[in-house]
Amino acid sequence: MRRSLPFELFRYAMIALALALTLIPILWMASMAFKPIAEWSASGADLTWWPKAPTLDNFRYIFGEQTTALIATLDRTATKPILASLLAAVFGTLIAMSAGTAAAYGLSRFGSGQNLPLALTQLRLFPPMAVMIPVMIMWAFLGLIDSWWGLALIYGIVTLPFAFWLMKTFFDEMPKEIEEAALVEGCSRFRVFMKITLPMMRAPLASSAMFVFILNWSDYLIGLLLTTKEWVTIPVYMASLSSSMTGQLYGAKAALGLIAAIPPVILGIAIQKHLVRGLTFGALKQ
Amino acid sequence: MAEIAFRNVTKRFGDTVAVNDTSFTIADNEFFCFFGPPSSGKTTILRLILGLETPDSGEILIGGRPVTHTSPAERNVAMVFQNLALFPHMTARDNVRFPLVERKLPEAQIAARVAAVAEKLHIGHILHKPPAQLSGGERQRVAIARALVRDPAAYLMDDPISALDARLREETRVELKRIQRELGHTLLYVTHDQEEAMSVADRMAILERGAIRQIATPREIYERPASRYVAGLVGAPAINLLKGSADRAAGLYDLADGAIRLPLAAVPGEAVEVGVRPEAIRIAPFSGSSTKPATIWEVEPLGGFTVVTLSAGADRLRVMLRGQPRLTADEKVELSVDPAALHFFAADGTALAGRQ
Repeated sequence: MRRSLPFELFRYAMIALALALTLIPILWMASMAFKPIAEWSASGADLTWWPKAPTLDNFRYIFGEQTTALIATLDRTATKPILASLLAAVFGTLIAMSAGTAAAYGLSRFGSGQNLPLALTQLRLFPPMAVMIPVMIMWAFLGLIDSWWGLALIYGIVTLPFAFWLMKTFFDEMPKEIEEAALVEGCSRFRVFMKITLPMMRAPLASSAMFVFILNWSDYLIGLLLTTKEWVTIPVYMASLSSSMTGQLYGAKAALGLIAAIPPVILGIAIQKHLVRGLTFGALKQ
Repeated sequence: MAEIAFRNVTKRFGDTVAVNDTSFTIADNEFFCFFGPPSSGKTTILRLILGLETPDSGEILIGGRPVTHTSPAERNVAMVFQNLALFPHMTARDNVRFPLVERKLPEAQIAARVAAVAEKLHIGHILHKPPAQLSGGERQRVAIARALVRDPAAYLMDDPISALDARLREETRVELKRIQRELGHTLLYVTHDQEEAMSVADRMAILERGAIRQIATPREIYERPASRYVAGLVGAPAINLLKGSADRAAGLYDLADGAIRLPLAAVPGEAVEVGVRPEAIRIAPFSGSSTKPATIWEVEPLGGFTVVTLSAGADRLRVMLRGQPRLTADEKVELSVDPAALHFFAADGTALAGRQ
């Protein structure tokens, strides 16, 4: 179809606008991460788009090096928070995905009615704050405060409805005859799940897991409430990056932010080919 | 290798009765077709035999052994699903191997059997491809191969070739018939295509709303349908169903507004409707005889034969003639039938024996 020139111009203008809105903050962060203190601090002479004197000082600083006399060395480096975030998000995702997938499969194949699936998702309608106070008390009682495993557990619980709902949609879409064919050919129910259903669900599992991981990875509130100092996560640690001399350490925050952006980006690229539709293509006649 | 029997099997889904108090026995080595309109219970019967559904009442036997509550894996039947249900994450070869691998056959035996079935179905050259890269016909062959590779008590096929184009369908059904004869296994075949059912079946069952209306050989079903319903389902073009009226004074029975007249003595007293197969009607130029003329409404030359649609009074009749006779629309013609080729139906639709 041929479109008119004004229409095309308008179309590209809208695309450019959307890209700018999403990408400029990220660009700004990336640029800031490589700026020396003079360029990002409030006392800095002038605002620059690109670092005039690019430096890795911000990265060195958050990992504990003395980079300028103006800011005292950090007593806690970014290493442990990165580890905390990774452990909590990965294991939280594992918990949510394994429990959510099992629940979704069970309800998709053997469940009846809508109430149970809906109840599970309604958990998400509560503001997290409403349940965080009791959770804090319970976690304190169980000795789970300020530990990555305590965080992983609550992450798994909070993101379970997402994992469940995403996987249920995928299981519902899978034609039941494929599993029945395996049943008829001599498989047990469990074997059908392991040999047929799970391999067919690789793409949906990958995309759901990434979604859940990003939810966990970007959490701030729960990390803030359930950790104190030993196992603070990246967002919580980031908020603490300031000094009495210069106030907010924007350069260091940007450097940490850039590091924090790496796992989702890598995951996104890795599973990109799985994100395409067509999970059962070729299994059935059209 | 076994016979399969239903004894008073009923299956309900909510308020719908999918299979209603049905009994039948399918003999060993028989090519048996279930034929009926959509949602007449064909697929449910197969699923009950497979063990994918459990009957609400009644008993299912395979080889004389009750299997009503055994799992699908223990029933030892193979199935070709209507949507084929290939495993999309495996190659065609792994799809075909699957039943044997699951039954833990030795590798040499698996390879030999897969090679044999691939040869039979001409799919040796596509075994390395995943289903997504196969054409519709190839997928369907792989699905059939996955069923045939085993040595089950019976093969079940749920309209397996309905997605193919007409020519491929005709080819495949002949092949299937041949393969079944060579393998000598019981084959249960579901189809909604009467021609397919007639052409392949040793015996067939005609279904209507979950109940079997008639079980017989295709020939018997065609020649002696048990009811108006069965008569209307088989045969193409479909049978002409005509309401008749008796002319007692003349001792004649009028069909199609008098275009066909029969001796009253040949018609059973309770008959309210008469079925005339399209090929049982003969056409001659109108000569002003005792019958009224029928008018040619449209002519369809189909090569080897010609289908003529006639109008006579309020009735439309379809007549099948050999070759390509010279007939034109709006021509007036005279009809005659052999009373022996007629089917008489009572008010409730059951067939009545004709009186010669």
